[in-house]
Amino acid sequence: MRTKIPLAICFLSGAIMFLQYFSRHPMAKTVYSGILDWWQIIFAFTLFVGVAAFIKNGVKSISRRNDAPYKAVSLAGLLLMPILALIGGVKFGSPFLWVFDNMQAPMQSTVFSLLAFFVASASFRGFRARTIPAAILLVSAVFVLLGRIPIADYITQSFSSAAFWIQDYPSMAARRAILIGIGLGSMTTALRVILGIERTYLQGER
Amino acid sequence: MTSQRVRWIIFGSLFVLAVVSYLITIKLKIRPSPQVQKTYDYIETLPPSSVLLISFDHEASSLPEIKPIAQVILRHAFSRNLRIIGMSLFAEGTAIGYNMLSETAREFDKGYGSDFVFLGFKPQYISAILGMGESIRSVFPEDYLGNPLDSLPLMKHIDNYDSISMVISIADGDRAVQWIEYAGARYNQKILAGLTAAMITTYDPYLNSGQLYSVVGGLKGAAEYETLYGRPGSGSRGLLAQTTSHIFIIALIIIGNIIYFRNRASRKGRG
Repeated sequence: MRTKIPLAICFLSGAIMFLQYFSRHPMAKTVYSGILDWWQIIFAFTLFVGVAAFIKNGVKSISRRNDAPYKAVSLAGLLLMPILALIGGVKFGSPFLWVFDNMQAPMQSTVFSLLAFFVASASFRGFRARTIPAAILLVSAVFVLLGRIPIADYITQSFSSAAFWIQDYPSMAARRAILIGIGLGSMTTALRVILGIERTYLQGER
Repeated sequence: MTSQRVRWIIFGSLFVLAVVSYLITIKLKIRPSPQVQKTYDYIETLPPSSVLLISFDHEASSLPEIKPIAQVILRHAFSRNLRIIGMSLFAEGTAIGYNMLSETAREFDKGYGSDFVFLGFKPQYISAILGMGESIRSVFPEDYLGNPLDSLPLMKHIDNYDSISMVISIADGDRAVQWIEYAGARYNQKILAGLTAAMITTYDPYLNSGQLYSVVGGLKGAAEYETLYGRPGSGSRGLLAQTTSHIFIIALIIIGNIIYFRNRASRKGRG
């Protein structure tokens, strides 16, 4: 029973969602809307689980003095933002948006911008034409880099054309192959789950 | 020269280059790409009062690259008297989107509720996108500020994608793919993406197949759009910094390879 009931629920949910796609019957539409509502509700509860786990781990780390200052700051942030939102609202000009705009956004942008420095360093130290495929990759990268800047057009418009060609043909062919692979893989996995062949979500019980 | 010193020289040079080129003003000749031109033409030809749904599907970290794209599209839309519904499928995009929409609406003296609305954030993006195809009210019974949707004049006659001309996803990841796969494929909704430059190639197959209407990508895309709109903004200003950084990286690649081949030749000579 412990495995049969979840398997039956899974099969029914999957089969209903699959069949309703091909039906215009009002009943199918009602069922579909109901499932979408439930999906939202269930997901909203997972957010509570996430916040609770974050608080629990943070408190545990502080009590063990493991990265305590960082955990304290992250917990303070977690508590401060809802308090600001509750007190001052979330409207334009509220303290909540001020903190978001002047603290969180600049901090995240700063961390993200560090990537440019590592890319520059890596391009000097690691991007070498050691083999023919590496040389092709290197030349393509230079063309795409040049194609993404307007100054290259002052020299010749061929850089932009070359960058577009690389994007539109070799790069897209590879991406399409990956996407088709992902699509077929997703479909196979979905069928395996619906038919009860794939049972890892039951923690391996058979 | 030690590798630590080389790293410091690279980091320092890139920093100086980026800051100086951001501060100086050099007008670059910007040629709009076909994709940006297509986007501009579409918004330009929409009848006034048409509704655009703009979803701010990004984090704060990509703001310097994403904001110019969103800003110029919003400016163009408001200047054409189009009405805008804002929302976000990323928690962080909520505050950013609301702020950006409110700021730009102020520039054009547009009123909340009649000219633009911000619905806020919904977790579980797939069910939100699919749900909005059935009824926006069922997914967002209230807007971001807690107003019931029926109390907002703009939302009175809008219940699903049928009344929306285009969905524009301003994304730094693959969230626009979900808009294409669910709103586009199931509800035949026209989708446009404003993307970070690094993400453009991910969307090429969708663009080529026509599932994605068009793309405005990176600072270059924003600058091209600003050129068409006739009002240079942060995209055009940031483009010079991006240009010098790209040239610097190309120079580093070339110098690195010259050193590599010289060392290899001298090793062979000794051996």
